[in-house]
Amino acid sequence: MRILVTGATGFVGRYTVAAALARGHRVAAVLRPASSGRELGALLDHPGVEAVRVDLRSRAALVDALRGADSVIHLAAAKSGDFYTQFAGTVVATENLLWAMDEAGMGQLVAVSTFSVYDYKALPGGSLLTETTPIDADPVKRDEYARTKLLQEELYRSFGAGHRTVIVRPGLIYGRDELWHALLGAELGPRFLRVGAKAILPLLYVENCAEALVLAAEKLAEDPSPVDGETINLVDDDLPTQGRYVDLVSAVMEPPASVFVPWPVMRVAADALDRANGMLLGGRAKFPGIVVPEKLHGRFKPLRYTNAKARRLLGWAPRYTTEQAVGRAGGEADLLAQLAAPAGGLRTDG
Amino acid sequence: MVDHPLPTAPLTAAVIGTGGISQEHLSFLAGRTAFGSVTDRVRLAAVCDLSPAAARYAADTFGAPGCYTDVGRLLAEVQPDVVHVLTPPSSHVPIATQCLEAGAHVLCEKPVTACRPELEALLAVAHRSGRRLMESQNYRFNTAITTIGAAIEAGQLGRVREVEVRIALPVTDPGGRFGDPNLPSPIHAMPAGVIHDFTTHLTSLLLDLAPGVTWDRVAAAWSRHGDNELFRHDDLDALLVGAGPDGAVHARLRFDARTFPDVFTVIVRGSGGTAETDLFQPYLRIVRPRPGGSKLSPIVNHVVNGFGMARSGVRNLGQRLVQQGQYEGLHRMLDLAYTALVQGAELPVTEADMLAASGLVDQLLSREVAL
Repeated sequence: MRILVTGATGFVGRYTVAAALARGHRVAAVLRPASSGRELGALLDHPGVEAVRVDLRSRAALVDALRGADSVIHLAAAKSGDFYTQFAGTVVATENLLWAMDEAGMGQLVAVSTFSVYDYKALPGGSLLTETTPIDADPVKRDEYARTKLLQEELYRSFGAGHRTVIVRPGLIYGRDELWHALLGAELGPRFLRVGAKAILPLLYVENCAEALVLAAEKLAEDPSPVDGETINLVDDDLPTQGRYVDLVSAVMEPPASVFVPWPVMRVAADALDRANGMLLGGRAKFPGIVVPEKLHGRFKPLRYTNAKARRLLGWAPRYTTEQAVGRAGGEADLLAQLAAPAGGLRTDG
Repeated sequence: MVDHPLPTAPLTAAVIGTGGISQEHLSFLAGRTAFGSVTDRVRLAAVCDLSPAAARYAADTFGAPGCYTDVGRLLAEVQPDVVHVLTPPSSHVPIATQCLEAGAHVLCEKPVTACRPELEALLAVAHRSGRRLMESQNYRFNTAITTIGAAIEAGQLGRVREVEVRIALPVTDPGGRFGDPNLPSPIHAMPAGVIHDFTTHLTSLLLDLAPGVTWDRVAAAWSRHGDNELFRHDDLDALLVGAGPDGAVHARLRFDARTFPDVFTVIVRGSGGTAETDLFQPYLRIVRPRPGGSKLSPIVNHVVNGFGMARSGVRNLGQRLVQQGQYEGLHRMLDLAYTALVQGAELPVTEADMLAASGLVDQLLSREVAL
């Protein structure tokens, strides 16, 4: 199968390209026109990879770029910038891609969303987050990323009404160079404010994620009825608490100097600030996300997670445990490292 | 010319183009203004964008009943009294022409056209259609500028001798909307390239603060100092000398992309005093003769301006907290525009204002004045 991967130079994109090759597929890797593609390293020279240079924010040349592809894994999204920058990079880009797929007569989409779409503030602490958990219907206080990904999901669902589509919501994806993340806390000047230690992290190791995305594309092509139109959450099996995860990654990286604040303290402080904002400033003050309840709950509220649906529908099981994953992220054994090695062979360790 | 009766308030408005600046126009039309509701004068009827998702988002967020991706359909079905044209500058002429000929007044983002002859032609379309065309020269209506204008009018600065308008913004950053090489902004095709997006601000403020001056000696250095090859120019340094009713006036218009911090400073020096502000971090400093004579004036100026700076600091901090930008003048300008349209009075940005600002940009760009 020839799979078109958008966002191919991104963190998840690189591994998805590698995973698709490892499973015997050919890849059309979407790069921005001015991108050197150096993030893909040796993958760019792989005979199974063709670089496709388009900017999804424009419809120009998009239909031609899609020709010859059997399936699309759509990872491209804007993760920084103001709302309108992220709107263009995520929502308009997705709208253009879906339009071009329709024009090109393509109908197999692995639509990558995010755990950020859920309405965390409304969820009772400790509850099980599943695909049926309500998404945020009024995300005005959420960050630009959550707001634009919610709009992107609307587009996915609309497209899915007439095309084979599976929406995949990965948890927090981590891996090489991406071990210290936003679910642990936030930068506070020269130090790191760590929020909580006991909450279970909805983690997904990047190689596990990439394999699941390729499996989803295969399922859509080979046996679509169980997955077509479904929304699937992706998390690993052995999800650690924040504290356990910090212990694990500390073996392969130097954690930043941190100040620790327990989750209940942070939650009460954010609620108090929010009430004061409402009473004194009519809710108009915009504080950093770490003290905005809607954003804080999305990152640190203790919840439980499951990958049962992904296992059932995709036949997927995370290949690597968290301990193995952290070891691979800190070592030289992961898929990309193998490709960069002189032998250049692709294999997955079982 | 088509004769139209005075429209009945509230006017119906449509917005074409839902990019970043649209939220300022749409928040006004939705009545979210610092001075309260405007629904007695205007009602937001529809939005339009090439992207259906962008149009739908804007319509949902600001409560527009209509949502379009085609200008012709919008005009035919909604028949708006006023259209805000907020698309990239290169598309202004065809869209504004279509709106004017369909019988709508047009409020257009700057620059309306690439040059003065194009503006004259578009104004002729407006005249033939019996409709009005107004350019957004929003910074002229910011409080700091209207306060300086009032000080000049009251003679507090004496005769205006020098005006300096300076904008510093890192527009060449490859991660920004102007510097992104992946999808080059259409503004690069304008005669002054990206700086054309700012020239209306530079010239309209100069013309506003030094009215009646004929700028007959102009020298302009257009440069590219950075290494972003998308840019024809990333720097403008222009010196102007003009003849005004009160004698010669000097001016400097400056745009640069290499200095920190981002600023939009305006300085007016007169025979009797000096006023300055930064529209990005607003403050107002006026040095002028004060009660107490020449001995006490310096002290009074220090005290008054010191308190003023402290007040501005607190106010700017508050505005940063509520993420209020530098667009307060835009709402004021639109309020005046709608009041004028309802009353059939002169618009706050007149055709003469637009022609003069555009003509001065042409002058800065003409080969004869290049350094």
